[in-house]
Amino acid sequence: MAKKLKGDSFFLSANDLKTGSVVYYNGDDWSEKVDKAKKINRSEIEEYENIAKKFEDECIIISPLFVELNDDGTIKKLRDIIRKNGTTF
Amino acid sequence: MTKVILNKNKVLKNEYFFVDNLTNLTKSNSENLIVTLSQWLDNKNTLSKKKNIGIKLNSDESLSLIKEEISFFKIIQFNFLTFKDGRPFSEAKKLRVELQYTGEVRASGYILPDQYIFLLRCGFNSVEIESEKKKFWLECLKMDTGLYYQP
Amino acid sequence: MYQYSDKDKQIVKNRTREFLSQVKRRIDGNLTEEEFKPLRLMNGLYLQLHAYMLRVAIPYGELSHIQLNKLAEISEKYDKGYGHFTTRQNIQFNWPKLEDVPKILNELADVEMHAIQTSGNCIRNISCDHLAGINNEEVEDPRPWCEIIRKWSTFHPEFSYLPRKFKIAVIASEKDRAAMKVHDIGLKLIKKRNETGFEVYVGGGQGRSPFIAKKINNFVKKRDLLNYLEAILSIYNEMGRRDNIYKARIKILINELGEEKLKSLIESKFKKFADKNLLLEEDEIKKIKNYFKLPINNPIKSSIPVKKNKEYNIWLNQNVIKHKLAGYSIIMVSLKHYNQPPGDATAEQMKKLSIIAKQYSHGEIRVTHEQNLVLPHIKNSDLFSVWNKLSALKLATPNIGLITDTICCPGMDYCALATARSIPISQKISQHFKDQSIQDKIGNIKIKISGCINACGHHHVGNIGILGLDRNGEESYQISLGGSADEKTSIGKIVGPSFSEKELIKAIQTIIETFEKNKKNNEDFLSVFNRVGIDPFKKDLYDKSNP
Ligand code: SF4
Repeated sequence: MAKKLKGDSFFLSANDLKTGSVVYYNGDDWSEKVDKAKKINRSEIEEYENIAKKFEDECIIISPLFVELNDDGTIKKLRDIIRKNGTTF
Repeated sequence: MTKVILNKNKVLKNEYFFVDNLTNLTKSNSENLIVTLSQWLDNKNTLSKKKNIGIKLNSDESLSLIKEEISFFKIIQFNFLTFKDGRPFSEAKKLRVELQYTGEVRASGYILPDQYIFLLRCGFNSVEIESEKKKFWLECLKMDTGLYYQP
Repeated sequence: MYQYSDKDKQIVKNRTREFLSQVKRRIDGNLTEEEFKPLRLMNGLYLQLHAYMLRVAIPYGELSHIQLNKLAEISEKYDKGYGHFTTRQNIQFNWPKLEDVPKILNELADVEMHAIQTSGNCIRNISCDHLAGINNEEVEDPRPWCEIIRKWSTFHPEFSYLPRKFKIAVIASEKDRAAMKVHDIGLKLIKKRNETGFEVYVGGGQGRSPFIAKKINNFVKKRDLLNYLEAILSIYNEMGRRDNIYKARIKILINELGEEKLKSLIESKFKKFADKNLLLEEDEIKKIKNYFKLPINNPIKSSIPVKKNKEYNIWLNQNVIKHKLAGYSIIMVSLKHYNQPPGDATAEQMKKLSIIAKQYSHGEIRVTHEQNLVLPHIKNSDLFSVWNKLSALKLATPNIGLITDTICCPGMDYCALATARSIPISQKISQHFKDQSIQDKIGNIKIKISGCINACGHHHVGNIGILGLDRNGEESYQISLGGSADEKTSIGKIVGPSFSEKELIKAIQTIIETFEKNKKNNEDFLSVFNRVGIDPFKKDLYDKSNP
């Protein structure tokens, strides 16, 4: 899941297995609140990949991914912005 | 992980052996042997003299390579490399319908209990599965109503 | 309309139970996501960007008013109060919870509906002409054949783990309203010396490499249809590529193997191993046909209300077609209102349309592959009343076949695979060309928009096709011209480098201007394109020396 990642900081996000909702990892748990999401540095990617794997195995989340952030901490990619804000029309 | 062989809802005793290397054959395991495709192709002459011989084909190995020789085999085992590879369903059907094969057709490898009914309906009569998954296989079997749209 | 037998009911109920058990095993950790995914897909359940998405089958695009009302209820109870009608005549709900899906399936089963095989590598919902049984051109009604194929393909033990998805369409006249030639198998009912049978086309498809299906048999007898289909599917299951997902469709097999070779394999399998249990006997066919008898039998004297109302008259002209029985009309219900995502319908629209269908259209509704709905049997004298009601629901936009009647996939606003958005593009086009006189002047034209190379929005066969791409993180749109999905199916030609989201509308405006400049008499867009070719369009779009 870390393949082709650019940038230096990220959020860890996924979908909740039972509801499908977009969730973010806040350091010990997953929540829909993006403002509580934990900022992750490039060097920590591997560590958080393992954390994501653990929650996947426990059937809490599916489809984990790293959300790339701009220097000012905002989300970089349109796809991730749509995941956060909902549809654009 | 221990495996069991299921035939419908009955556990069968596994009567067959595999050997990685045919030169390791001893007296006790020289009959009731299931060989791989390459073992068969390389040692056809000696193997075809054995009484109870079976062959194991991986799901990406074509049945057509042994089409003329199926009468030698007591058992033909299709080993699914992934449950998503649906070729053995057609191969089993071909064995039964086109080649009139009446021996045992077994499924093994990475298969799901949710495929059980389809396997049986395509002509398989046994599956080799992990013993701890048995209850799911039986559950799926129980869900079968016998109502199908195909003959 | 078809009605479930006890057997159908039990099979669907049982599937619901089976799915409940799969969901339970998934949540308990006894199925991994990798294992669950193909199983849930075979039941129409995707994971998209924001949530799960459930695709419900509408077999050959036909719905009863009771079913439509149920879809509305489900959208309110388990979703956000709307649904999206797709290019394969199905409906999608965008926000269901995994835990709710078994409940939804139960409610669907109550009205003889399901989500079986709406996705996954199996035989999908059969597409059909939305005017089946009610037009004058057809050899016979193709719907019974769709139903026969639906049954045969449902939970087929041999064909549920194919190399890739498999789509079949059935039409019955020279006119192709079902995009038959871009299906894996296209069947066309024809008459030869007083016997009806099928022309069989194989290997059409869109996606990354678009192909037009090739005719591999000029006449398959009715009774042999299922055996012939079995032969094709069996060869495909055995020989279709499994090493590369982009090369796994039968369109690639037929091209790699050659048409003649594939044909001879199919023919030999069919001739040698046809299963007599699959032969379709006359009385069986008749039994199915009986379900599809029209609810109206005789022409009547009924005339269209004459009103001075301008909007009503424009609508009559654009959205109403003649029924094969005199005195009746067919209403095309536009789901392309200028502010609505193409193909979306709200719960209120669905509920009220269901009441209209019950009152005026013998309870029947159909879905078109162009993402509109149809009220198939409207008495001429009712047209004004129905128009009034549809208008109030914003379901009478008089744009069927015009530039604002775009086909459009969900794109990046919903879809996990998307490379760009498509709905906002379609809305911009609608806004830009909204003026009725402009639309009328442009005439018949089909714009089709996909949010990625998978081509769910049929861009390859749009007169103007728009494909959304990702160019270094920016949305970018590639335009192709001259595609068509009708009886003269053609794949559009890429006109040149792609356009940014900002430039796109201007580019389309330029294309329309080039068309109008070259247009003679009443020619439509496609005729002009076929006559003048792509060069004038290229020149006007890219030649900077051009003023
Ligand atoms: S074309 Fe692409 S973006 Fe559009 S619905 Fe299909 S997969 Fe999604």
